[in-house]
Amino acid sequence: MKSMDVNMTPSLAALLPRSAIILELAARTKEAVIQELVKPLVADGVVTNEADFIAAILRRENLESTGIGLGVAIPHARTNAAKSITLAFGRSDSGVDFASLDGKPSHIIFLIAAPENNKREYISVLARLSSLLRREEVRIGLNRARTADEVYAVLEQHDRPK
Amino acid sequence: MERILLLVEETPGAGHVGDWAVRLCRRLSARLFALSVIPARPLLNARSPVLDAEEKAWRLLYEVEDAAFAENVPASLLLETGDPLQRLGELCRSYKIELIVVSTDSRVPALELIRRTPSPVVFVKPPKED
Repeated sequence: MKSMDVNMTPSLAALLPRSAIILELAARTKEAVIQELVKPLVADGVVTNEADFIAAILRRENLESTGIGLGVAIPHARTNAAKSITLAFGRSDSGVDFASLDGKPSHIIFLIAAPENNKREYISVLARLSSLLRREEVRIGLNRARTADEVYAVLEQHDRPK
Repeated sequence: MERILLLVEETPGAGHVGDWAVRLCRRLSARLFALSVIPARPLLNARSPVLDAEEKAWRLLYEVEDAAFAENVPASLLLETGDPLQRLGELCRSYKIELIVVSTDSRVPALELIRRTPSPVVFVKPPKED
């Protein structure tokens, strides 16, 4: 995980552990992708109850789509099963159906885990990430990244922590 | 009624109007479409970069989504660029919207909104600030 300035809210790169960057997801379905992305967060101790966390994510997925279009999905949950706000990133060349409104499969998937009591930062991270991923140059950069360092480089180039 | 669109704007009453729309959707078992429209790039000046405008808009949209999720209301978030009236009209037709919910402190002129959109409009008055 990258360092951050203590006077700022964390950069997106600072919220993304290296272990939670999966450049080629093995899973092909939405549920399996979510499970694959949650695994490293469980191993890192960010998610303390895997079953509860996945249930919270899937509850939202069953109610609405977290596919924001343009080949991007941001599954997210704010729950006591998460200790701190953390991201996981996965990429799927074949694409995964997140029921996006534009009908297109998602190739770039960022999962957000957040504790129940941190709504402000949770909304802020969701908004920053959504805004960033609407930019074509960011999506191209993430799609082309060959290593975790290149993923960090894309985020650090375009993200502006406040 | 199954499809209700909320126009999400950065106004003092945004939270109240969002909650009102969520409650209405819950009562009617309707899906909520939360729409925010930001100005087209050329209309944004150098001090209001596109990314800031988008980020603010997303923040408002996710506030609505959070409230909807808490009430078990399905919500779809839409961020569009351009003229709000034009985009509203297009999206109402695309998503077969049956009702538009707007705040009385909206920046969109009320009469124009009623004239130019194909769906009925309900205006919600935010509580007065004392």
